[in-house]
Amino acid sequence: MPIERVHSFLVHPAKNEAEQPNIGGTDIPRRGSLFRMLTGVFERAAEECKIDIVFRAGPGGEQQNECRHLLVAYVEHPTIPRGRLIASRLQSVSTHRSGLGLLFLMKGEADGEQRLVISRFPADQGVIAEEQAEHLSVEFVERVFMKSAKAYKSAFYSSDAPERGFWDGRAVDLQIRGPRELSDYWIREFLLSELRTTGPAGTKRLAVALRDAIHSADDLVVKHELISAANLMRGQEGRRQSARQLVQQLGLSEAATTALQESFPRADLLDEVFQFDRAEFERHAPYRAVGLDNGALLIAEDARFNEVFQQQEVGEGAGQVRYITQGRVVDEELRKTK
Amino acid sequence: MNDPIADYQRRYEAFLKAVARNLQSHLEGHLAGVPHIDRIAARAKDPARFAEKARRTKEDGSPKYHRPLTEIQDQLGARVIVFYQHDVSVVADVIARYFQPIEKRELVPESEWEFGYVGRHFVLPLPRDVVPEGVDLAEVPRFFELQIKTLFQHAWSEAEHDLGYKGRTALSPDQLRRLAYTAAQAWGADRVFDELRAELHA
Repeated sequence: MPIERVHSFLVHPAKNEAEQPNIGGTDIPRRGSLFRMLTGVFERAAEECKIDIVFRAGPGGEQQNECRHLLVAYVEHPTIPRGRLIASRLQSVSTHRSGLGLLFLMKGEADGEQRLVISRFPADQGVIAEEQAEHLSVEFVERVFMKSAKAYKSAFYSSDAPERGFWDGRAVDLQIRGPRELSDYWIREFLLSELRTTGPAGTKRLAVALRDAIHSADDLVVKHELISAANLMRGQEGRRQSARQLVQQLGLSEAATTALQESFPRADLLDEVFQFDRAEFERHAPYRAVGLDNGALLIAEDARFNEVFQQQEVGEGAGQVRYITQGRVVDEELRKTK
Repeated sequence: MNDPIADYQRRYEAFLKAVARNLQSHLEGHLAGVPHIDRIAARAKDPARFAEKARRTKEDGSPKYHRPLTEIQDQLGARVIVFYQHDVSVVADVIARYFQPIEKRELVPESEWEFGYVGRHFVLPLPRDVVPEGVDLAEVPRFFELQIKTLFQHAWSEAEHDLGYKGRTALSPDQLRRLAYTAAQAWGADRVFDELRAELHA
């Protein structure tokens, strides 16, 4: 999987600044330790970039996107001037919080497809120590890059016809620690893209899979575990993560995770990242839980809740209600709630 | 496989028809409960039509598509037909919740004097939910086209398409005028029905 060209640009934080700093750019020679390190980034990108993204439509709804246009032009002719236009885009959305960054554009070919990997490494501070014959010189520097070569942002595009085919890609932000922070700066502002799976679409898929898994679970422990998970998921509003990350975070057992996975149309859909949408989850919520002020907690399948529990108004006002249900006890357990 | 037309034929038989069926069910699921929907349909492009499109050339005789399996975006298409113009926006709002479009356009004639009556058009990422387990995602189109039309827009488009003329230049001024008349009739019928809907269901 050879890299054909690599260009690098120093990108300053200059969002909303009238005067944009000049951007220095260079052609990286295809040899040496830097090239070897970048080859690793390029080769890992297909696996590492797990967040599916698509470019946004143009302002009039047309199939046109300013950032994509720059990327396609670069892939057609990877030159420093064309790369600098991409770096300028990044600079125009980089805040001081994002800081100084070193942008690498890596163009290559793999499996008959043109491939573009874009990576941004943040600047850091460091100390250079040079040992000479009789003494040691120590110097503080403010533009150290890749002190940790694993903390970077990347985007990956691959197609046999970039002019038509570069409409979707994948991204990753290895600088962040939590899914909540998935970088708007990198995906929305710089790449002018959105998650391929909308929040409601990903949330609905998860809710429906949970409902189906609960229905089909023969093991009551697994069933209860999934019901509990459904209730806990309501607290995930706005979080961007995959269903797999979510179930890992909730600590679901292997049996419950397998039951959930089998209810997805494809196993790989568990890894699609989406933004959790509580309203959508409620719309398809598999179970409804009602708590009363006397400590009772009633849980039933949402669609059958009113059938399972008959509700009666009692007393005058004050919202007093009586729920009536009847059935054979199939399971009973004590759980510690706090 | 080097021949994209033969490769498309293979994909069509192997999984594209199934993907289209799943896409139709998927859209029906999203639009369940939305009133005034006449029908929802999805199809994989017929191989003969794909072949015809893949072989098209530009004016200078060079091929229009070098990589037709990537470049032709309507290999999978879906259509939602609604009763009234108002319903087009209702359906479009639901679509916007569940899909991130790379194209969304109201297809209208370029001038008030032109004929044509086509509807709302989207190019959307194909949800992987509709791809059967075991099918290689690399062989499945990444996007599909969706049109939302009123019954009259649909009827006009279907009849106009069936006439099969090769571009507007192939029509005489009188034929053009009569086609424009049918478009205007359909447009007028839609408008009046939408006004009646607003008055009677307000």
